[in-house]
Amino acid sequence: MRIVAEHLSYIYNARTPFAAKALDDVSLTIEEGEFYGIIGQTGSGKSTFVQHLNGLLRLPSSLKRKKKKKGKGVSPVLRVGEFDLSEKKTDFRALRKHVGMVFQYPEYQLFAETVEKDVAFGLLNFAEKGKKPSDEEVKRAVWEALEAVGLDPKEYAEKSPFELSGGQKRRVAIAGVIVTKPEILVLDEPAAGLDPLGKREVMDLLHKFHGDWCKTVVIVSHDMDEIAENCTRAAVFSEGKVVKEAPPKELFRETEELSSLGLDIPLVAKLCEALKERGVKIECDFTEDGFINAVLGRAALRGKEGQA
Amino acid sequence: MKDVAFGQYYPARSFLHNLDPRLKILFLIAYIVAIFLAPSTNFYGLAACAFVLILAVIFSRVPVLKVLRAVRGVLFLLVFTALLNVLFHGGETVYWSYGILRITREGIIFSAILALRLMLLVTFSSLLTYTTTPVALTDAIESLLTPLKWIRFPVHELALIMSIALRFIPILSEETDRIKNAQKARGADFEHGGPIAKVRAFVPILIPLLLCAFRRADELGDAMDARCYMGSKNRTKYKKLRFSWRDIIAFFVGAALITGVVLIRIYLGAPL
Repeated sequence: MRIVAEHLSYIYNARTPFAAKALDDVSLTIEEGEFYGIIGQTGSGKSTFVQHLNGLLRLPSSLKRKKKKKGKGVSPVLRVGEFDLSEKKTDFRALRKHVGMVFQYPEYQLFAETVEKDVAFGLLNFAEKGKKPSDEEVKRAVWEALEAVGLDPKEYAEKSPFELSGGQKRRVAIAGVIVTKPEILVLDEPAAGLDPLGKREVMDLLHKFHGDWCKTVVIVSHDMDEIAENCTRAAVFSEGKVVKEAPPKELFRETEELSSLGLDIPLVAKLCEALKERGVKIECDFTEDGFINAVLGRAALRGKEGQA
Repeated sequence: MKDVAFGQYYPARSFLHNLDPRLKILFLIAYIVAIFLAPSTNFYGLAACAFVLILAVIFSRVPVLKVLRAVRGVLFLLVFTALLNVLFHGGETVYWSYGILRITREGIIFSAILALRLMLLVTFSSLLTYTTTPVALTDAIESLLTPLKWIRFPVHELALIMSIALRFIPILSEETDRIKNAQKARGADFEHGGPIAKVRAFVPILIPLLLCAFRRADELGDAMDARCYMGSKNRTKYKKLRFSWRDIIAFFVGAALITGVVLIRIYLGAPL
């Protein structure tokens, strides 16, 4: 499923003194199979954008748009696969089955008595009417999801989610979303509040899902290392607009613009920059492995030159 | 969810916004007294009250439609009591009767006055919440209740509890939105199904919300301890409330209203 957004705008509390423009004419296309990153400072509109993807925030219905169109400007478009999200009749529940969304700090949405019941919540909600999955099927799917997030179902399925540690809770919450095998998985700051090891584990998990479980993964983050390390492409949001969109390899080549937007730069990009100032040019894709290989390659070259 | 209870404050710079909140509360009390002192046989007294209300709306810079919206909440009560009064009040000039139901001139006037009273009451009190932030309100209540400290009533603690509760309303409402969205994303359905199904659908919101409230309460308690909060003893205020020229004007308007209504009651109390 391909995500196409054109001229998307959104205003919170429209027509009140508290009105705040969160999205301003955003156009983006996310291809199927991508590991897409959305970067931006707090309040840049990135979370607002992803909440549109499964219809939690809606754009004005097509009827209203037609009326408006006579007046001025272009009309917004948002399509996810074959779903047209600007259409009022769209089956948003069917859409949500295909677009799984993991919110910030998802561990705070847990509610059931056991891990198994909590993970099954989405599965039962999305079951078509009259075709309730059997207990067997539910159990199988839940166990599979728990295994996928690295929790041993035998040990955890019957536990209360509230007696788990923070990291384990987050895994359970993620399992509760991927259990329906959505085609697109959207995660809002999936690694926020975790220690470095936990962060890496979560990102490794996402790579595991990407491809088999979910064709497309979209992550919202302000951790540039995370984006550089993982994403195939990324968009930079600032004040509701998309200011740049490129693969990380190109995105982090020019670091001045990012800095001027108040964004951090990945550690690897900083190293490359510092080396460049000292006259050593390293060409790499700004992942840690890529950097190490480039540096080692250079060292090997030097070594050969020295021998010669 | 954004417009629950205390999301009422309408930010603007106006005469009314700048009044001392204590005076606004006292003025509201005086206004209520005036409404009920006004004679219930004719409209002169209430006309004076309505005039003051119109003045207040003009000097508050809150859009008229917004002020009138406050009446919408009590519209049913208003229509219902007016109808009952019209039908059952009784009186001498009968227009129409059926069994014990009688529509009379006196009944119509009486119910119109009653409805007017309610409307004035609701709009004027809503004006208070439109022009005063919740924090200023609790400050004012604390200050007005100070005399109760003599009988060892914990005024400061009460005010603190109130302002914490008020502060938490938007936080919890935001949290509710977030949890609701998260469960919606997992296919939860809050719109369809019978009443029992609808109530049951809220369990996945209520439990995380309760947990969140307890967690936040714990954190707030710790933070207060960490900053050595000890209660009311020897605490000074960051924002001191002071009366200004505006408050003197408002005070005289209020005093004039009450005197006026009392005079109307004495000299113009005759029924229409």
